[in-house]
Formats: sequence, structure tokens, C-alpha cells
Amino acid sequence: MNSIEVEHLTKKFGDFIAVDDISFQVREGEIFGFLGANGAGKTTAIKMMSGLLRPTSGTAVVAGYDVLTQSKFIKRNIGYMSQRFSLYNDLTVFENMQLFGTIYKIPRRELKNRIMQSLEQLDMTKQANLLVSSIPLGWKQKLAFATAILHKPKIVFLDEPTSGVDPIVRREFWNLIYQTASTGVTILVTTHYMDEAEYCHRVSIMADGKIRLLGTPEELKRQVGVNTINDVFVAYVKH
Amino acid sequence: MRTILILIKKEFLQVFRNPLLLSILIVAPMVQFMIFPFCADYEIKVLDIAFIDNDHSKISHDIIHSFDASDIFVSHGNLANKQEAEEMMKHDKIDIVIEIPNHFEQQLLNREKTNIAITANAINTTKAGIGVGYTQEIIGTCLQDFSMQHIVVDPNQIPASVNLSYIYWYNEQMNYQNLIVPGILVILVTLIGCYVTALNLVREKEIGTIEQVNVTPIRRWQFLIGKMIPFWILGMAEFILGLVIMKLMFGINVQGSIPMLLGITSIYLLVMLGLGFFISAVSENQLQAMFIVLFLFIVFVLLSGLFTPTEGMPQWARYINYLNPMSFYMEVIKKVVLKGSEFVSVQRETIVLSVMAVIVNVGAILSYQDRTK
Repeated sequence: MNSIEVEHLTKKFGDFIAVDDISFQVREGEIFGFLGANGAGKTTAIKMMSGLLRPTSGTAVVAGYDVLTQSKFIKRNIGYMSQRFSLYNDLTVFENMQLFGTIYKIPRRELKNRIMQSLEQLDMTKQANLLVSSIPLGWKQKLAFATAILHKPKIVFLDEPTSGVDPIVRREFWNLIYQTASTGVTILVTTHYMDEAEYCHRVSIMADGKIRLLGTPEELKRQVGVNTINDVFVAYVKH
Repeated sequence: MRTILILIKKEFLQVFRNPLLLSILIVAPMVQFMIFPFCADYEIKVLDIAFIDNDHSKISHDIIHSFDASDIFVSHGNLANKQEAEEMMKHDKIDIVIEIPNHFEQQLLNREKTNIAITANAINTTKAGIGVGYTQEIIGTCLQDFSMQHIVVDPNQIPASVNLSYIYWYNEQMNYQNLIVPGILVILVTLIGCYVTALNLVREKEIGTIEQVNVTPIRRWQFLIGKMIPFWILGMAEFILGLVIMKLMFGINVQGSIPMLLGITSIYLLVMLGLGFFISAVSENQLQAMFIVLFLFIVFVLLSGLFTPTEGMPQWARYINYLNPMSFYMEVIKKVVLKGSEFVSVQRETIVLSVMAVIVNVGAILSYQDRTK
């Protein structure tokens, strides 16, 4: 079954076409990578799929709901991690999770258990009562991820979750992604680290608002005749 | 319900962790109360006066001396001529010059028409107006005494003397503080309501936290109510703090019903909160929001009747004032705090403010977009 079905999705800002007629499907439980240079249209596409931005034309069905008319239902079923860290810096780790968990209507006691479990998994139990502004970026990103999946969404959108964090945290982060995907959650992740693309089940390469290539990392390398995704990327984006 | 409660909790946590905002909330009313009433004061305490006495008679000396007896006037004595007077006025040494003509006394005794010239520096119109008024009063008294003593009057023609006595109602001492201090309450409530909320919401936009909220299934009205209630509570607390300071520092008691005053204030706060949200919905960053608030605030204050009576404004300005929530609220404050009016006399204002509250808040909810175009 497909979690996400995108058809001819287009977004124009005035004369500028940010996303130009893209179509693709993401299967349930898949880790789908969105690759592309800065300004390729990845964030715009994610925002349209998560109901933050209205498409100019085309449509997308996310978790079985239409983004044009049923964005409320979509929002219940997705988790979203913005490119820019967007939890509250002046709240503690626990307070942030409690706030968003409550907004998603997780019952009180259940919420507390999930937060504790999640903090344990992140190895952040000791930091629960620290203000978010005082913890390092890598931890912030892990926290943002944990908060995005607290309500057990069917699909998680991660917009450049690892930009600016060190290689160790990046590795930990991808472990979290794998663990989450193994429970049947669909993950759509954008990145511009090409090594991370190798971790994805399938990747698409975007340039100038269009999807240029789509397939498993192996397929893409074979198709282009190179050894790494990095070379695929350079070959396709530099055109 | 739980959603709204957690939002309220979140807002209060943030306010109490923001030392700058907290100190502004507490220090601002204190400072305003301490400074404003003393500088925005139309009372005239000192008027510098000088004379050009061309007559050197008994009556001219009497007039000059009677100014010495006054508390308000500081006499700079006799000047030689008009040039000297002009020079002194130019350098702000004197506010008023009185010129007594040649043969003044003689002309009075002969019952001829004569003139005293009062020249006032009208850069400060209030000062000039009040100064000339006082001057006329003092000279008038002198002339009356003089004519009683020296002009033989036909017993059948006793000039009718009218004594005017003044009582200024609701502000008996003509104390400008009684008017400006309640006005500061209005400014306080407006600033908390409009300024702090507008900046708060637009800040969430700026730092991106609002995006994380918008991607949740939360409803627009839930989010706005979760913002509104905390700031409404802060605004009311601020107002009560203001009432207390007003009583302790200036001894001004609320003449009317305090519960009623709080009730109407809470409606006015809703108008300002809604306006704040509306402004933050249409602005992209704190700077824009600040400019809009500042612009509206100045218009509101100038038209509100705090500094000048609304009755004296041209018709078009009075029409604009129908859209100015502050002028209605100012009216309520003046009536309830100073006059002790009953609800009947502020009914109209209350209804208008309620209607405004509904319109502005519906507008705010509609203009707040959780999905951008």
C-alpha cells in the first residue's frame, strides 16, 4: 500500500516555480529520501504534503487523505520536523514534549509514559528538566524527532534533520530513523548529505523543482554508471 | 479543553522565564505613573511678568504691586521701553508684558477711554491663555478698588457688581493629575493588550515555532484562545496594579463601582488583544508589527481625549473617533473613576466596545492562516 501518492504537484510563487509538476509514490514503511541542492524545492514539496502550504495545482494523497480538502485528517497522522529547529527554547525538554503530546490528545498518563520511554531511548533522561536553549544542537535535533513521533504518526516528514550536527549524532539519528521505520512508519527525509542517501530505501533527486531521478540507490548508481550517490548527484544536478 | 490549558501553561512558563518582559510589566506602570503626571501637566505654576509703566501714578503702582502679591507671577519690575520688553521675551525671560499708557490715571479720573496693553508669549498657547486670564483678573480688581475710592458715583447709579465664583466639578482643585493619572491606566491596558500580544505572536512566526504548532491538528481558535487568556490575565493584573499605584501615589479613589470598572476593562482588553493578533497575523516580523502598533497607538491616544477634549475636535476627527476603542474606554474611565457614574451612563460605551471586541476577534481568527497560500 502507498502512504503518499503525489500527482502533478506544482507550486508557484509569482513567476518562480518552486515545485514543477512532480509525481511519485511512497510505500508504507519505506524510508524515502529527497535529495537536491539548496533551493531545489524539497522543503516546498514537504510543506505541501504536510498541509502547511497550499499547492498551486496537482494533488497529493497522504495517509489516505487529500491535501487539498482533508488537511485536518492528514495532520493527525503525520509527524513533522522542520528544517529550522522549531521547538520552544524557553521551555524544558519535558515541557516541549508534554505540550505537543497534549495538543495531539495523547491521554495524560499514557503521555507521561511515552515521554519517559522516549527520553530513555534518546539517553536524555537527565536532561528532561533542562531548558531546550541550553542543550547542544545534536540533542535538540534528536528531541525534535522524538517529539514529532510521540503521537505515533503513520508518516514522518523530516526536513534536513541532520544539517549542522556532528557525524556521531548523525549516525545515532539514522539509527532512530531505522528503529521508527521498522515499526511500519513511513519516513520521508530530505538531506544534502549523500552518504545518508545510501541509507534510504529509495531516493529521488530534485533539481529546479523537478524530480530528475528516482529509484533505489543501487538502481541510480547503475543507471548513471557511477559508484556513489554523490557522483550521481553531481552528474545530475550540475547539468 | 486540555489543549487550551496546556497552551495557557506554556504561555505563563514563557512569560515567567522572560525576565525582560516581566520587569517591563512591573516597572513600566511604576515609571509611567511617576513621570507622566508631572510632565504632561497643563497647570501653570510660574508666569514671568514685566511692566512698562509710562504713567508712574498711584494706580499704576497699585497694579504693579498687586502682581507681587500673587503666587503665580514673578515680577521682573519696570522696563524702560518696548525694545527691552521684546528682547526679554525673545530670550524667554518673561511671558507677559503689561504696558500702562501715559496719563492713565488722569484718563480714568476723567472717565475717558483708556487702554492697558497686555502682550503674552503665545508659543505655549495654554500658558498665554491662562496668563492673560489671570492678568485681566488682577488688573480688574485693582481698577474696581480704584474707582470705588476715587470716582464719585451717583448713589443712584451704583455699578452692578457681579461676583463670579468657580467650582470645577469632578476635579475640584483643577488638578491635571486627576485626569492624566486615570489616562495612564488606559495607556497601560492598551500597551499590554495590543503591543505585547502582537509582538508575542509575530515572534513565534519569526523563530518558526508557529510552524510546529500549525502542523498539528490544533484549531485556529484554540491556538488564539490559548494565547488570549494568559495575556488577558496579565492585562487585568496590570490594570489592578495600576489602580493600586493610583491610590497609593496620588490618593485617587475610584468613585464608581470597581467590579463594573473591571468588567468594562476586560472587554476593552479583548478588543486590544484581538487587534494585537490581527496585527501579528498581517505582519511578517516584529519590526513591522511594532510600526503598525506604534502608528495606531499614537492615533488612538491623540484622538482619545486624554490630552485634548474630544468635543473640541473637528467633525471628521470625531467621526474617526467612532472607530477608536480608546476614546470610548477613556470616556468610561473618566466617568467611572472620577465621576462615579452608574452603569447607565457608560452603557453606550460598553456596547460599542463589546461589538468591537467581537468584530476584531473574528477578524483575527479569520486572518490567522495555518496554511500559507
